[in-house]
Amino acid sequence: MLPRDTLPARRDGQTPSVREPRPRLKAPAGRAPVPAQQSLSLTSSPEHAEPLPVARIRPRQLWLCLHFPLLPLEALNNTRNGAVPAAVFENRQGNRRVLLANAAAERLGITLGLSINAGLALAPSLQLEERNTDKENRVLERLAGWAERFTSIVSLELPDLLLLEIRGSLRLFGDIEALRRQVENGLQEQGFQPSMAVAPTVLGSIWLARAGGNVSIVDGTNLAGALGALPLRCLEWPESIHESLTGMGIHCIADCLRLPRQGFARRFGAGRLLQLDRALGRLPDPRRSYRAPERFSEECELPEEQSDSELLLEVCMHLLSNLEYFLTTRQIEVRHVQFSFFHLRSSATHLSLGCRQAGRKKEQWFELLAIRFDRLALPEPVISIRLRSSRGQALQPEEGRLFRTRDRGYSRSIAHLTERLSARMGDDCVYGVTTAAEHRPQYAWTTAEAEPQASRLTPCAAIPNPQAHSPLLLADIRRTSSLLLRRPLWMLPEPLPLTIREGNPEYSGPLKLLDGPERLETGWWDGNGIARDYYVAVNPKGIHLWIYRNRNKEASWHLHGIFG
Amino acid sequence: MSDALLNLLENPRVWRGRQPTDVSGGSLAVYPTGYARLDCHLPGGGWPRHALTEILLEHYGRGELKLLMPALARLSSAGETSLGDGQDNNRADHYGCSDEKEGWIAWIAPPFQPYPPALLQWGINLAHVLIVHARQGVEALWAAEQALSSGNCAAVLVWSDALDNRASRRLQLAAEKGQSLAIAFRPLEAEGQASAAALRLVLTAGEKGTDVRILKSRGGRPITVPDMIHDYAPVSAPDYER
Repeated sequence: MLPRDTLPARRDGQTPSVREPRPRLKAPAGRAPVPAQQSLSLTSSPEHAEPLPVARIRPRQLWLCLHFPLLPLEALNNTRNGAVPAAVFENRQGNRRVLLANAAAERLGITLGLSINAGLALAPSLQLEERNTDKENRVLERLAGWAERFTSIVSLELPDLLLLEIRGSLRLFGDIEALRRQVENGLQEQGFQPSMAVAPTVLGSIWLARAGGNVSIVDGTNLAGALGALPLRCLEWPESIHESLTGMGIHCIADCLRLPRQGFARRFGAGRLLQLDRALGRLPDPRRSYRAPERFSEECELPEEQSDSELLLEVCMHLLSNLEYFLTTRQIEVRHVQFSFFHLRSSATHLSLGCRQAGRKKEQWFELLAIRFDRLALPEPVISIRLRSSRGQALQPEEGRLFRTRDRGYSRSIAHLTERLSARMGDDCVYGVTTAAEHRPQYAWTTAEAEPQASRLTPCAAIPNPQAHSPLLLADIRRTSSLLLRRPLWMLPEPLPLTIREGNPEYSGPLKLLDGPERLETGWWDGNGIARDYYVAVNPKGIHLWIYRNRNKEASWHLHGIFG
Repeated sequence: MSDALLNLLENPRVWRGRQPTDVSGGSLAVYPTGYARLDCHLPGGGWPRHALTEILLEHYGRGELKLLMPALARLSSAGETSLGDGQDNNRADHYGCSDEKEGWIAWIAPPFQPYPPALLQWGINLAHVLIVHARQGVEALWAAEQALSSGNCAAVLVWSDALDNRASRRLQLAAEKGQSLAIAFRPLEAEGQASAAALRLVLTAGEKGTDVRILKSRGGRPITVPDMIHDYAPVSAPDYER
């Protein structure tokens, strides 16, 4: 048996030079953290007998970092158009200085740090807008939602980074290059110019992207070399640290890695050392992945105050198509959405739309919106429109027919009609009906949702045989019609007091009682008790009426229904 | 009849006064009213399908609902069962709608509350009743047009005082589009106005009950059916079954 101290040397010796990287990658995962006194150097210099644990990263991960250096500019709508010189300025202690300028503005000499007065002197047509970090964050969040189409792990790194774990997506998209192209094209379509880099570690990809991007490092062994060449600026460390490092003659990450670990940690903080370790994959770097919101909420700002309804509807349609995409990707649908129209001076106008059947199709919502929008009184021109949705519910798959014999009209259900009607009339005005088990005429029915599946029929006092309530047994009802209690087809919403002449009730002339009385009483359980004698009466014009005499008060006659 | 004459009669350009035809050239599709005495005076023998029918009356309660109830009862419980006689059935298949019609009955801007227990007594399937309390006038017409053209409703009843010749034309077209039975209730004063309705009835008080006067019927002739409706209870079974 060999002595213990020879083991490392032996192992070094055993490692064939051609395959040097492999054992490092396959180093056991359970190895203890790197001792602090070790050098940061990765290159296996002869002074170090022990090889450094490089491969603590799980080789399964591959991060695509999207860095948006122009985000302050891109987040603002007005500065989108590249042909117009535009710049974003920042207000620092009353000094308004240019933060970022687009290409057209740069050609005119607008540069970082220029005061805006100087900028306007150089380019009078310069469009200036103040930086809006809230908006940048919203835009970045929206992009995170968009990027979920490429991978299930998207991490948001404010203020200007998106991280996509793409190892798991490579097979679907072909290879890294194909995936990158798709991401890039998609972002360019939306008006963003990201710089992109791929690396096995999160920080590695971030730094590479910040340095200008267009780098793909798949193999962990190439990472140290690629990162080492990066300037210290990419680390975005505080200016003081940066200065002292530069003063020490350290200009790139590789220089940094050559410093003794302990001294580095003492001078610049253990956090910075941790960052370097994580970037090289020596320590794990867990990230919180982005979780899309449960509800849809998006605001669209208009370039100027707008009162033209067609244009506003167009913006609403745009929001609705975003909503549809949001719902489709989550396989949910919603029953309520709310539009808010914001004005410059007065408070916002809200417009809530509800559907009987949950939906996600933009056309469906747009149709409801168009019905309501006509009658919406906007007090002022609109500066921005927001669309919010209620909490979603699981998507109900549509019932399809194998053979659709006719398309017009019938493909839509009754819910579609009731939605449109209630959008215009109001929810209370459109309803179905059902009977209730109650002997008092005014409580013998209730409203119900008008929906296709409805077939609830509760027992009804007007029909003696409870079995007769299914539509199939209606023939029985007809056969037993002599047993039926007389009920009018028209009911008055409120009983109408009748005038009385010579002891007889009158309604367009003296009434003649034909049938009755049917005595209906009590209702003590809800305090609305009645004591009435109902009669069928006919007036001189031959109209049959359903009237009652209140037995509580003497000679009080009321009209309750009309036999249509 | 000779073959030549038959050929001539089959030519769609030949219009025959007493032969009920609809626009597409086939025989007129109807829903039987449930009142045999009335059916025999109506062209085709019932309410014209997919068309507008106007009912003119002085007072609500003249029997206007009673007149409709048997037909509505059959329509509301339709859907799985076929409507009308065999000929109509074929026709429904031809349009491919016989199994899809849901049998909804929309009541648009009714003057009072339609009373569900009574509807049930008349055999209406309450699960297919849709009540819309539109404001009178144009909004009721809009709702009626929507309901008719949606194609979900087997029948649409509308009460509107804003109905004029133009509106009746629109309702007629919507009824054709959605293949629904449209019934409009109008005051008696509208008798003199022109209308695009396929059938116009006037209900007046008769000696013993309500007289039904056919004011206009497409392919029929005006006539008065006296004492059509004389009771306030559901019609007796044999009459109903027809």
